[in-house]
Amino acid sequence: MLFNSYAFILVFLPITLIGYYSIAGKQNLKLSALWLVSASLFFYGWWNPLYLLLIVFSISCNYLIGNFLSTLDKGNMKKYSLIMGVFVNLSLLGYYKYANFFVDNLNEVINTNFHLETIILPLAISFFTFQQIAYLVDVYKGDVREHGFLQYCLFVTFFPQLIAGPIVHHKEMMPQFLKKLSYKLSYKNLAIGLTIFSIGLFKKVVIADNISLYVGPVFSTAEVAGYISFFDAWRASLAYTLQLYFDFSGYSDMAIGLARMFSIRLPMNFNSPYKANSIIDFWRRWHITLTRFLTTYVYLPISLPLTRYSMMNNFGNKIQFVHSIAIPVLITFLLSGLWHGAGWTFIVWGLLHGCYIVINNLWRQFHKSYFRNFKSVYFLGGFTSRLVTFLAVVLSFVLFRAESIFGAKVILDAMFGGNGLSLQIGTAEGILALAAWSMSSGTVLIIILIGVVFFAPNTQQIMIRYQPALEVNNIEIKALYKNLFQWKPNYKWALFTLIILFISMLSLANVSEFLYYNF
Amino acid sequence: MDNNEIMRKVTTIFQEVFDDDEMSISPEMTASDVDSWDSLTHIRLIISHELAFNIRFDTTEISELENVNDFIVLLKQKIS
Repeated sequence: MLFNSYAFILVFLPITLIGYYSIAGKQNLKLSALWLVSASLFFYGWWNPLYLLLIVFSISCNYLIGNFLSTLDKGNMKKYSLIMGVFVNLSLLGYYKYANFFVDNLNEVINTNFHLETIILPLAISFFTFQQIAYLVDVYKGDVREHGFLQYCLFVTFFPQLIAGPIVHHKEMMPQFLKKLSYKLSYKNLAIGLTIFSIGLFKKVVIADNISLYVGPVFSTAEVAGYISFFDAWRASLAYTLQLYFDFSGYSDMAIGLARMFSIRLPMNFNSPYKANSIIDFWRRWHITLTRFLTTYVYLPISLPLTRYSMMNNFGNKIQFVHSIAIPVLITFLLSGLWHGAGWTFIVWGLLHGCYIVINNLWRQFHKSYFRNFKSVYFLGGFTSRLVTFLAVVLSFVLFRAESIFGAKVILDAMFGGNGLSLQIGTAEGILALAAWSMSSGTVLIIILIGVVFFAPNTQQIMIRYQPALEVNNIEIKALYKNLFQWKPNYKWALFTLIILFISMLSLANVSEFLYYNF
Repeated sequence: MDNNEIMRKVTTIFQEVFDDDEMSISPEMTASDVDSWDSLTHIRLIISHELAFNIRFDTTEISELENVNDFIVLLKQKIS
């Protein structure tokens, strides 16, 4: 079931909420949890009931492994059990997500002809796999107090975050699920949740879906090596960059809003990523919970021992940089690329971002040694840095969207002027054509939206007075936002929510899937 | 090792890693307060303490630190 469907908004959500609060009113934690878990499994099974078996199997396995881990004393046995547990999770993900890719490439490389039926990627498997790996590591460290199978099921399946994140930690969710206050009907939380949900829905169905019209045709043309002009290539890439942001951050908003209707706070997942001043900053603002996961469970475990080795042997700065940053960053982003999809485009996309980050770090080291006691690392100036970062991201998303490396190359070629500028600026026709192109609805829409992602406050900033998500304390609120764009429970904002919800509901007729459903 | 001694040693390590002889540290200080505190200096900081105090940090331990105080608490736990 999609969040942006009539079935979800008009039937599933109201029934789940009413059921929840009528049971929860009796302060029966077990029964309320059971209701939520059943609703969430129904939500999951709506898509393909068969895969219910898979998710239940995965949850049961991890719960048992977790329990087993917690009985062991620290030592090799415990370590190997953890490794086994992580391995089980990764094999499941590996089979469903990468088997086809692997066999296809094997056939290509060594000219064999193995045949494997196309395996359909089970919904959400990338997300619940990561979430449960984190859980096992937390158990291993002794950070988790176990609260029974039902509560564990709730932690994994809670429907707002089940399908596409945010990727949550056991220790940030469990205390909320166990707090009596969470089970009390709160009109305040319902109002806040509905507002956040409506903003997310609007981002998805009104903005992202409409802008996708300017993306698809150009990328399809690229795959068959058709002609793409310089301007069309840029427009399509910019449109996709905007589409992906509004789609995925809209999804995250909806998840956060839905959870809030049940008085649960999810962690923040987006913080205006296109306002980033550097690529390092970008990854602190884009899909925050994934970056958090990869930093803790991939980057640091590689970087720490390498740095230790480097420093113990007194290697020079250059080698230390390679050990602490370059190698671990490239591996982390390679895996991040693979996580996003089993395809060469994603691998190259990941490596490209890895290189971006390494360059960004190199630049910082260089800057540090030449300008001691500097005030800011962004000496290009705040706005120029933002622009350069944005362009680097736009180029990378061409790879993210293209169906093949070939298609990406065709678009990138056009963007770098490979097909000429096509419009003869000197001639009258050329100027007229350019004028017509810039006034076309698509171009105007894209320019407006770039303004929005560069300057407008984000959902968390609008809702900041009401703690919209976990870990929002460190987001900055500009003075301008403070006066104009601060949500308050008054008629003005109720009208705002009503209008965006109404427009979104009308646009639901043309349902499309979320981009991140496929990951 | 008493508290003062630990703090003196920690301060010296910070000064070395950040290459700033006048640097002083306070419990509330976070990475965002210091311009040159990036992932590279962060990891160097951790390992320098490991070598100086002859201890080992765990990856998950260091990813949870919020400020200098958290770090010092963790450090003292490791020493004792």
